[in-house]
Amino acid sequence: MALPLKYNLRNLIVRKGSTLATAFTIGLTVAVFLLVMALARGIDMTLSSSGEPLNVIVVREGSTAELNSSVSREQYNDLIYLDGVVREGETPLATGEIITLIYKPRKGMSQGSNVQVRGVGPMSFKLHSGFQIAQGRTFQPGLMEAVVSKRITERFQGLDIGDKFRIQTTDYTVVGTFDSGGKAFESEIWVDVNSLASTTKRVDSFSSAVLRAKDQNALSALSKRITDDPKLHLKAVSERTFYEDQQGIASGALKGLAVFISFIMAVGAGFAGMNTMYAAVARRTKEIGTLRVLGFGRFSILIAFLLESVAVAVIGAAIGILLAMPLNFVSTGTSNWATFSEIAFNFRVTLDLAVMALVFGAIIGFIGSLLPSIRASRLRIVEALRA
Amino acid sequence: MRFAKLILKNVLRNKRRTLLTISSLIVSLFLIISLATILTEFERGSQEANPMRLMSRHSVSLGFLLPIGDVQRIQSVQGVKAVMPFTWFGGIYKDEKNFFANFAVDAAKMKEIYAELKMPDDQWKAFESDRQGAMVGKKLQILYGFTPGQRITLKSPIYNQDVEFVVRGVYTGSDEKTLFFHHEYLNELAPAWAKDQAGLFAILANSADDVPRIGQTVDSMFVNTDAPTKTESEKEFARSFETMMGGVKTFLYGIMAAITFSLLLVMGNTMAMTVRERTKEVGTLKAIGFKRGTIAGLFVGEAVLLAVIGAGIGIAAATLLFRSVDMSLYIPNFVSFVPETETLIAAFVLAILVGVISVVYSTYRVTGLTIAEALRSTE
Repeated sequence: MALPLKYNLRNLIVRKGSTLATAFTIGLTVAVFLLVMALARGIDMTLSSSGEPLNVIVVREGSTAELNSSVSREQYNDLIYLDGVVREGETPLATGEIITLIYKPRKGMSQGSNVQVRGVGPMSFKLHSGFQIAQGRTFQPGLMEAVVSKRITERFQGLDIGDKFRIQTTDYTVVGTFDSGGKAFESEIWVDVNSLASTTKRVDSFSSAVLRAKDQNALSALSKRITDDPKLHLKAVSERTFYEDQQGIASGALKGLAVFISFIMAVGAGFAGMNTMYAAVARRTKEIGTLRVLGFGRFSILIAFLLESVAVAVIGAAIGILLAMPLNFVSTGTSNWATFSEIAFNFRVTLDLAVMALVFGAIIGFIGSLLPSIRASRLRIVEALRA
Repeated sequence: MRFAKLILKNVLRNKRRTLLTISSLIVSLFLIISLATILTEFERGSQEANPMRLMSRHSVSLGFLLPIGDVQRIQSVQGVKAVMPFTWFGGIYKDEKNFFANFAVDAAKMKEIYAELKMPDDQWKAFESDRQGAMVGKKLQILYGFTPGQRITLKSPIYNQDVEFVVRGVYTGSDEKTLFFHHEYLNELAPAWAKDQAGLFAILANSADDVPRIGQTVDSMFVNTDAPTKTESEKEFARSFETMMGGVKTFLYGIMAAITFSLLLVMGNTMAMTVRERTKEVGTLKAIGFKRGTIAGLFVGEAVLLAVIGAGIGIAAATLLFRSVDMSLYIPNFVSFVPETETLIAAFVLAILVGVISVVYSTYRVTGLTIAEALRSTE
């Protein structure tokens, strides 16, 4: 015969101070776990959403980032007319882009980081969907004007609309800010590719080329054809793979850290939970004796205590999720080690992470209360009543 | 001290509870020390930088290369003792998981510019005279069993090549997780875009006073070339990597605060149970003439004793573990993993503070009761 749930609930309310303290301890553990995972998830989502499924990116063989890559304009002109590239009328849906970096101090700090500058052509806006002007206007082709992603404007000094910044020896004026739907481009500054070519004296080559393939088969065929051509010394991969390969180090390290920290914190919280439950069992010894006399079996007692503590743990986990929630979508930044430049991203507390956190909390509660609950169920009736 | 024995007796009254609380303290302190050590290790590079050395790179980015001919021009700058190319090879040994840094350098100048790297003389000679030779750090030997004479192959995605080296020496000192090899060898096999190019230049100055001037002179020499340089002291160079961590550092501090707060809750909860259970006793003590302050002192003393034991064991365990097992072997980019004395002291003080704060409220309430109230308690 099972004990009514009301019995557990009442007990939790009676010792509410202790219940809350235990719940919060578990809550903090869950919150920390969730936040580190949310950080890793943010990096993953930013980079994996950056690639369009049908885009092929072409870089120099051996390059892991566009920055240290080079595709000559001559090669580019051959690439865009390959079979399998989408055409809009006569014009292939393709673009050559130039990447450079500028060093900017972070807001409120004297030190800074590199910010990636991307020289883009008219087709770039079609190939990288999601680009949207947030404020101001877009740059005029041929002029030394720039649009800065909103996140970079917020994180670095001197990149607001109207500000001028220097690329090598040329000044560019910020004329607008943009969003790109959470993609890695939100860590960039965009300027006209031809302006950037003359600024960086890079007139006969691009950093990379992006081509839109007709379909998945065309994508594989194009990638293979370009990569396997021994004369080209180029590498073509799907844009999605390209960005996903960049996320490895940072998000992998964060996931490792999340497991390490939350495991140790969980052990600590488990000990604390055990303490509380042992105290609860001790205080309710007589009560347990009474329940047994009334006919509740050992197993019912065991289940009742386990349930009670798992309930506290789940409440705690819920508190933890609530604590972590406000940081959802908060943006932060670190460096992308493949490009040596800033990558801004958001904490992403997603549903699956929240569920994982809830289960994690419940497990802490279960393990922490197992021994005290067994003890409660093993009390002998006579001794319990005499306590 | 008169009450030391009484406090000890009280601590031992509920042994299981004491054990659990102390265990909780131990793991929390261990975790805090580990995280604090991660933070200090991030800054190890700039802390231990050689004030006589500079690093020169392409002013746009580390990803761009510099013409190797610049070496002669830098060498002619007044105050420069030695200069050599220093190029990231990005080679991978067997599997991507086996990450370690590998650089192409001028083998003949290595010993002079990086004097902190120690190797037997015969190994230096063997390394310098073998074009295919490589010198590896002691920790790489521990991790992968590299021994002098062994042939190893590194696969570099950057240069798109598998390159074979012969281990000629094992060095100790500074960062023991790096492999160095001959820049000439790299240049021979480099594809066209990387021929006669270097990633960085390592410069050794005659004195630390020359360093700022050398930096400016070098940069002004190349300012109007295709490859302008950015030359900084080794410390600034290392720091520029450290600031790349960006928000992650703040985040780690946040986690440490959360752990401390959770420890406070754990201790607070335990101490509240302990104090409340003794309400009747407080009445008795008061009845036989104990002052409120003395009784409060007993409780605070008990909490502090728990904190001291827990923190002591946590700190000892962390120190012992990190000194006997070198974690840096398993963490990419970390050259060592040793908690600083300051970290240990700070952790200890923190634990005592947590102990005191955790007991304040319940002590205040229970010792404030009148004798009659306390004796009547049903706890």
